[in-house]
Amino acid sequence: MFSFELFINALVAGLLLGGFYAAFSLGLSLSFGLLDVVNIAHPAFIIFGSYLTFYVNENFGVDPILAGLLFAVPFYFLGVAVYRIYYNVFEKTGAESLRGLVFFFGIFFLIEVLLIITFGVDYRLVRAPYIGKTFHIGSLGVAWRLFVPFLVGTALTIGLYQFLSKTFFGKAVMGVAQDSLAVRLMGADPIRIKTIAFGIGIATATLAGSLLIIIGPVEPAIGREYIGRVFAITVLGGLGSMSGVFLAALIIGVAESFTASFIGPSWALAVSFGILLICLAVRPAGLFGR
Amino acid sequence: MANRIVVKNLEAGYGSVQVLHGVSVEVNDGETVVLLGTNGNGKSTLIKCIMGILPHTGGELYLEIDGERVDLAGKAPEEIVNLGVALVPEGRRLFPMLTVEENLLLGAYRPDARKDIDRNLAFCFEAFPILEERKHQLAGSMSGGEQQMLAVARALMSAPRILLVDEPSVGLAPIFVSRVIQKIQELKEKYNLTVLMAEQNFNQAVKIADRGYIIVHGQIEFEGKDTDELRENEMVKKFYLGV
Repeated sequence: MFSFELFINALVAGLLLGGFYAAFSLGLSLSFGLLDVVNIAHPAFIIFGSYLTFYVNENFGVDPILAGLLFAVPFYFLGVAVYRIYYNVFEKTGAESLRGLVFFFGIFFLIEVLLIITFGVDYRLVRAPYIGKTFHIGSLGVAWRLFVPFLVGTALTIGLYQFLSKTFFGKAVMGVAQDSLAVRLMGADPIRIKTIAFGIGIATATLAGSLLIIIGPVEPAIGREYIGRVFAITVLGGLGSMSGVFLAALIIGVAESFTASFIGPSWALAVSFGILLICLAVRPAGLFGR
Repeated sequence: MANRIVVKNLEAGYGSVQVLHGVSVEVNDGETVVLLGTNGNGKSTLIKCIMGILPHTGGELYLEIDGERVDLAGKAPEEIVNLGVALVPEGRRLFPMLTVEENLLLGAYRPDARKDIDRNLAFCFEAFPILEERKHQLAGSMSGGEQQMLAVARALMSAPRILLVDEPSVGLAPIFVSRVIQKIQELKEKYNLTVLMAEQNFNQAVKIADRGYIIVHGQIEFEGKDTDELRENEMVKKFYLGV
């Protein structure tokens, strides 16, 4: 039953999966954790990104990662537009807590339905030279389709971390939800800061979408499988901490991988939430929160 | 070059409640002027108007920055900050979940302040050594006095020419009030600032003020040409000195 080889394989698979989960969760940690915008539609934007990647890969043979990067630009503007609407209709009038949540739920289902209408309910997948290949380190086999998302997720974490901690703008993003008037007293426009930061969060979604469809086939409602997990990782990591999200994603990835290997795949999500619940009881600010 | 604040017959309020009824205040280049008044008389309202946080409904409000007149009507707080005006707000309004150092660096957000950031940061740490010791600590975890020092230092990081200070003494032990007030004076001299300070602690405020105004029910009741005139005023004796 238990073998060392299986253990190592599960560990590595979990870490790789975690890197992907990080990419999946960073944008939400930015909007939910730092901007106080409960963007419950984040997974739907990711699936949307998966389908765009699928479309250009299927029709033009564009590499999925390249597609994710290219679509990051229009997604940024999409995010800007969504935040503008959200701000003007809900946040400005102080109605964001409940109605704002409904707004994002609406976007979630809207995207899902549009994808079903356009692409149907079948699973879709992409082609790339590295998908389906495996490299070996000793007896350990590592699938490129997991390794590439891990690398991209890691790079995204480092990029966002640097952006937030090393730039003036990033610091303003970290402060804006704590006291928006104080941000104005520093000479910055909080609405502009939130708009740009939200746009960046959505821009990461298309890249995460590319990673999702590299890892495995995607169907329009697959976002529902991720919504709980992505919130769990965001909260576990400590709201708004990019490095925290990355480490939390690795923990969840490894926990799920071990659960799937040694207990059974259907338990995986239960383990994620179990970890989250224990964490919230012991350390409510999240594992790496301030 | 002169930096001044000019307020003429200012009217302002919240909704249908008018708070300021024709307030006129001038702060000349390099002066420290204190705005005295007990709670609810309009001190903070006037400060909010100058910072663009609250629009005024009547009168005139302008600054002279390097001798150039800038009308403040319709300007947003961030625009006014970018003119070189810094506010140490009532209640401090730090970013509690950011570190001391991050708070200070955010203070230097405006482009004009960024080029002098190293010099100003070094100076803030020199003026407030406690902030350097605690630079990696979260601002929200510090004591009230330390937070007030951080609020003053953060305002300084924006390399202002005009400094507004709203009730620096609120919630502080007297020893901290003295220290904060003293620091404001030192910084003012070092940076040649023009300072307007709203305060209800007369004894502390007159330590550094050149002159002052007494505001009662949204009107300037008395203008003291120097601190002696203020001290001898009947209202001050009655309300602030307990004579």
